[in-house]
Amino acid sequence: MNLGSVIKKGIGWIIAHGLYILILGVFALLPFFLKNPYYIRILIFIGIYIILALSLNLINGYTGLLSIGHAAFYGIGAYSSALLTLRLGFPFLIALPASGMIAAIFGYLIGKPTLRLRGIFLTLCTLGFNIIFVLALVNWESLTRGPLGIAGIPLPKIFFHTFQRQEHYYYLIFFLVLFTVASIYQLIHSRFGNALLSIREEETAAEAVGVNTVHYKMAAFIISTFYAGIAGSFFAHYIRFISPDSFTFWESFTLLAMLAIGGQGNLVGPMIGAFLLIAIPEIFRFLADYRMIFYGLVLIFMMLFRREGLFRHRIYSLRIYPPWEKKEEAPQYLVRDKFLTDDPFKETTDGISKS
Amino acid sequence: MEFLKVNSVTKTFGGLYALKGVSFSISEGEIVSIIGPNGAGKTTLFNCINGILLFLEGEVLFEGRSLNGFKPHEIAELGIARTFQVTRLFGKMTILETMILGQHYHLRTGIWSALLRPRWVSVEEKEAREKGLNILALFGERLLPRINEFADTLSYANKRRLEIARALASEPKLLLLDEPTAGMNPHETEAIITLIKKIRDSGITVFIIEHDMKVIMGASDRIIVLDHGEKIAEGTPVQIQNDERVIQAYMGKRYHHAST
Repeated sequence: MNLGSVIKKGIGWIIAHGLYILILGVFALLPFFLKNPYYIRILIFIGIYIILALSLNLINGYTGLLSIGHAAFYGIGAYSSALLTLRLGFPFLIALPASGMIAAIFGYLIGKPTLRLRGIFLTLCTLGFNIIFVLALVNWESLTRGPLGIAGIPLPKIFFHTFQRQEHYYYLIFFLVLFTVASIYQLIHSRFGNALLSIREEETAAEAVGVNTVHYKMAAFIISTFYAGIAGSFFAHYIRFISPDSFTFWESFTLLAMLAIGGQGNLVGPMIGAFLLIAIPEIFRFLADYRMIFYGLVLIFMMLFRREGLFRHRIYSLRIYPPWEKKEEAPQYLVRDKFLTDDPFKETTDGISKS
Repeated sequence: MEFLKVNSVTKTFGGLYALKGVSFSISEGEIVSIIGPNGAGKTTLFNCINGILLFLEGEVLFEGRSLNGFKPHEIAELGIARTFQVTRLFGKMTILETMILGQHYHLRTGIWSALLRPRWVSVEEKEAREKGLNILALFGERLLPRINEFADTLSYANKRRLEIARALASEPKLLLLDEPTAGMNPHETEAIITLIKKIRDSGITVFIIEHDMKVIMGASDRIIVLDHGEKIAEGTPVQIQNDERVIQAYMGKRYHHAST
């Protein structure tokens, strides 16, 4: 390979991913231009909800199950991170993945009995779990201090750097969102993601093709609850005060509304949904209590005119094709050279030969 | 050892007998058809072999191994693939994705390898893609130009073709086809008959439910006739054509002399 083609390839890559690089760059540099900490605070919350919405999307959007108690796992992450750091003195860097793991363990316990069955069992069970979880938080005072909540959660500290300013938190959540998006992207664009889609579309056929549907549903559920736990851990260390109020059923509903508005079954929709549902109430803060009416109206309009949400089931790509790079198409060589004869079935058994 | 042996399988829905002590066997490399009036239990039989339905009595043996208690995906891994009477395609998946999914259990990528993507993952994906395209090429230009479209945008006949292609992608030893030519015109049916014979020639045993007599008489080596959940006849196409009980089941008793 000569230098010219390498450069051409490099430029092609930059053009192809130009929009991604631009978006990343804008968000990476935003704190330098946005001096008002209030805006950064909103952006941090959008980040938390992007992680939550994307994780719920893995269950509801890609696997086609319906979990309506996702806030419980968010809460488990928050409480376990708070308790691990406060009571056991864990450093933040260990508490963050550990709280994700603890949430995933609960996800396993909920999923194990319900995901074997089809139908609404998972939905009912997650709903019940969310309610029970909040009741347990309120009443198990020796562990959770009940409705008083847990205060004084230590500042997150990674090696020798302590997070104090809003910008620090911004970059932490920026990194966590990147991690979430990248890992879910990898998962979805693989054999694993393909299996999840097939379960959503036609579970019986997926089984008949050889997909172990129970296994994949469990995996999707556990992975999803892991991300929710991570988001909860960050939330606990950011707000530094958690109480049962933050993890009630309404929180789960907000997440579902994000998917309903943004659209599910793709990566863009939940992000847009999270952005809109966090940003819009802030923008319309001057309307005070009428905000909720607006909120409801938006949902009604969505249900009436675009039920799938802004972005539908589909892979949205921001990839741009440079002029010298052809867009991927059906491989014509197969049609033209080998198989296009008068008899479409003539001499074409190599595809099914047992090799 | 028989390739597939169905041993007095009885399946009831409530008090209704859908299958009543059905027994037969299929040897390797055969094309066997199963016919019978509507409601005779043909699809139920497929569902029992395939593991979608559980039955209380009897046994299904595949290559000498009892399939009782196996889950559908385990049976698929043993090498039994099927299509469905009412097409069950993955609507919002592209045709190419469907074909790659068909090879699911031959591929190795798991959660960790999907996340980290070592080199063999992309090699495996490329191979799966090419194999999928090669199978789609069996159907000439019907499916190949549409590989990046969603399966639910296909026409009815193309959906049937894609179901067969998906089943073939899993490299089955036994292929169960549930009315593969429903909704196709005579010319297309002809092509499917050719295809079924080709599939058999490549070493796959084919078991078909069919209503189209042209397919049954033209393609099958042996025919099994079901009526009200019971096997009433079994034999070569010529034997079945002249079988009293088959004519009765289809035409009714009064008219059985009409065929002579």
